[in-house]
Amino acid sequence: MAMGGGRRPFFRRKKSCPFSGPNAPAIDFRDVRLLQRFLTERGKIVPSRISAVSAKKQRLLAQAIKRARHIGLLPYIIR
Amino acid sequence: MSPAQVEGLADTYATLIEENGGKVLKREHWGLKSLAYRIKKNRKGHYVMFDVEANSDAVNELERQMRLSEDVIRFMTVKLDEVTEAPSPMMSRRDRDDRRRSRDDRDDDMDGGSDDERGQIEEDSVDTSEEENS
Repeated sequence: MAMGGGRRPFFRRKKSCPFSGPNAPAIDFRDVRLLQRFLTERGKIVPSRISAVSAKKQRLLAQAIKRARHIGLLPYIIR
Repeated sequence: MSPAQVEGLADTYATLIEENGGKVLKREHWGLKSLAYRIKKNRKGHYVMFDVEANSDAVNELERQMRLSEDVIRFMTVKLDEVTEAPSPMMSRRDRDDRRRSRDDRDDDMDGGSDDERGQIEEDSVDTSEEENS
């Protein structure tokens, strides 16, 4: 393939899911600091294609963030 | 709302659970924290967390009581698959908690120690699924 070789402009390092593996952090809606890493500066949930979170963990992560928002630990929007 | 009042309110909810045949496994007071956004005109609230093993009747009654209470500005009940012994991340993160507390203290001083900010009780109850079925 034309783009397949080492340092082409489209070369992308393979990222792995931050919640998979032996000592991955548990997703918990009370762990605000952890969840904050997956929010944009405006408070939106970062898409998994950016953060490389697996689809399964992204669903859990989104649920946890929404719970944290509900009880006022995280903002819905940052203006 | 003073911490003592929050404590008292939490006690009433704990006994409510016990009376309805439930069990309080864990109880954490996260203290006065600033909310990420205003809830019912409040900027700060006291957070209380319960880990509870109870059937749906007890949880329904608890939620009903909290809806009626003026002092509870938001609550959430979450069903957990398993009970963890360890304290929640909110407690274990000591450095962060301390920093937050000192900031809150400073804010309180600037307010002149006024207690017009209404307390918030966050409840989250744990239902083990086996208990719910029985």
